Amino acid sequence: MTSPNKETNGPSSIRTLRGIGVSPGIVAATVVVLKRQTLRAGWYHLPEDHIEKEVERFAGAVQAAGDELLSLREKLAGDLADALSIIDSHLLMLRDRMLVERTIGIIRYKNVNAEWALAQALSDIKERFDQIDDVYIRERFADIKHVADRVFGLLSGRVQGPLASEDQPVILVANDFSPEDTLRMQAGNVHGFLTEKGGITSHTAIVARSLGLPAVVGIDHATSLLATGDLIILDGGSGQVILAPEPAEIQRVRESNRRDRLLADELDSYIHLVSETVDGFAVRLSSNIETLRELPAVLRFGSEGIGLFRSELDYFNNRRPPNEEQLMATYQHLLATMSPYPVTIRTLDVGGDKFFNRFPGNKAWLDRERNPALGLRSIRFSLYEQDLFRRQLRALFRASVHGRLRILLPLISAPAELRQVRAIVDEVLDDLAAKGHPVAENVEIGMMVEVPSAVVMADVFAAEVDFFAIGTNDLIQYSLAIDRGNQYVAHLYEPFHPAVLRMIRQAVEAGHACNIPVSLCGEMAGDPLCAPVLMGMGLDELSMRPAIIPKVKRLLRHCRSDELRQIAQQVLQCGDCDQVRQLLARELPGLYPREYYQG
Amino acid sequence: MRAEKKVLVGNERGIHGRIATRLAAIAASHGVRLFLGHNQETVECSSILDVLSLALTRGTVIDLMAEGPRAERALSVAAEIITAQDDACHDQPE
Repeated sequence: MTSPNKETNGPSSIRTLRGIGVSPGIVAATVVVLKRQTLRAGWYHLPEDHIEKEVERFAGAVQAAGDELLSLREKLAGDLADALSIIDSHLLMLRDRMLVERTIGIIRYKNVNAEWALAQALSDIKERFDQIDDVYIRERFADIKHVADRVFGLLSGRVQGPLASEDQPVILVANDFSPEDTLRMQAGNVHGFLTEKGGITSHTAIVARSLGLPAVVGIDHATSLLATGDLIILDGGSGQVILAPEPAEIQRVRESNRRDRLLADELDSYIHLVSETVDGFAVRLSSNIETLRELPAVLRFGSEGIGLFRSELDYFNNRRPPNEEQLMATYQHLLATMSPYPVTIRTLDVGGDKFFNRFPGNKAWLDRERNPALGLRSIRFSLYEQDLFRRQLRALFRASVHGRLRILLPLISAPAELRQVRAIVDEVLDDLAAKGHPVAENVEIGMMVEVPSAVVMADVFAAEVDFFAIGTNDLIQYSLAIDRGNQYVAHLYEPFHPAVLRMIRQAVEAGHACNIPVSLCGEMAGDPLCAPVLMGMGLDELSMRPAIIPKVKRLLRHCRSDELRQIAQQVLQCGDCDQVRQLLARELPGLYPREYYQG
Repeated sequence: MRAEKKVLVGNERGIHGRIATRLAAIAASHGVRLFLGHNQETVECSSILDVLSLALTRGTVIDLMAEGPRAERALSVAAEIITAQDDACHDQPE
């Protein structure tokens, strides 16, 4: 789907298209438009003595298609597990009785050619799939069509070569790519993808991300708006596509690509430096992680703590919910490895529906929650299933003696919830003391600020907790009422919406008025445009994927705190997100030319 | 040997391509025939298209049946995949 958001330049020419950015990176290159007509020879009647030959010809094409898929499967690296499973399902479809036996049946009983019979079988399958209500399953027909197209191609004698053969870098444009198409591109000169169909979870998106190539999906009519040979700029982060860019714009993108490569080398030197501005204003840069396997990366990229440990994985790794000892082992390892840096562990943040589906009990009714995002999840679930919550708290406190623990409560929306948690914590602590388990004195208990009510009441909450952690992904979703996974509204998900920025500011001010630190853990924290604004707003800590820490640290070390505060002030005066972006595009490169590549 | 039980579809996206693919693999690796039944319709897991076209969404209760010498074992592996809420952590070595 295209957003309605098409900017125009001049009376008739559309210069910018907006889709969904599903794999980050900016690239300027010419496009190759793949308009794949399904090759379908017409109907012809076969004489009796040709029928078995026709069946053989069809079986040969199916066999050859299978061989192609298998050889593609072999060539793939092991880390593309998602892609492998897609190929496996295509192999099954290729050999499915609905496709193979049905086609052969039609050839035999109607005395017709294989192409026509296959088209017939395919349309029968389509009819069945069209009746399916569930969108996700219905859309799997696209896979069946990819598989059938492969057989059609082989029947017509077409040899499938690489999709792009030119030496120049290209961006491929198509209605949709089969996963195999996307994979064949990894070796070559393909520098980006653009499709008409798809969302953030489409195959193209998954494969593009695993290959590290920029991709934009969901641009209607892209294959007619663009022609092979057109030069475009594709931004797989914002989803923006610039048609017929000015030479200066292209130059800028190419230069920035070149500098990105140089920058990657330079960034290594920042890993061991302190994260502070030129004038000595420090911001803690910490990591968001969910498994202990990520700890080496956390240490390698110079993270000063864990700003968010998502504790869910322990709950879904086994057939049963984890016991206290298992949880304690995880937390102890985490705290001991990171000590003396703080480790923020968020208590179980799942929807009740997910939990009971995993461990089915007599509570399967929760499956039917109409609105899971507004349902029994996160802290509400913990307060509902208090035995589970107690078990996690006991493990946390018992591990606390091994480092510096901060316990983070998700989705707090009312002060009453905090008081309930306090009462449970007190009971747990009494019980641990009675049993002689030592507990650290300095365990901090904080809350996520991710629901609008928590922002509005931040002054009240700040008096009751030891720290705030602003979760921007959920805060944006709840305050703008946008489900980012929905392709029809995804373009409205906007971190620079002034409402979001003002809420962040409000939470920071309320926290600081009560002398508690405020951190932010969401994708905004690692975004080079957002991070300076967040620092200027006074955030004490930004938590992000470990790998981007050196980049943000480098930025911070070239900034002055008074300038950042001034920019944040100006941003907070803006009335809409476009104004914010224009302001930042104007101010940041001026102040920090090296950081924004315009020097 | 024949085994059967009722199971609840747990995956957020229902029985989608990846799960259907795994069910077919379980039937093959255990040397059994595996069937899914729902609303008086029964399909064999060897046909991924049959399985997909049942459109089994989360929360649906289905009849799972296995026939063959290792029916019990195949049934329990298949049941676990169907009831799991996510795809990732259930790769069986077989």
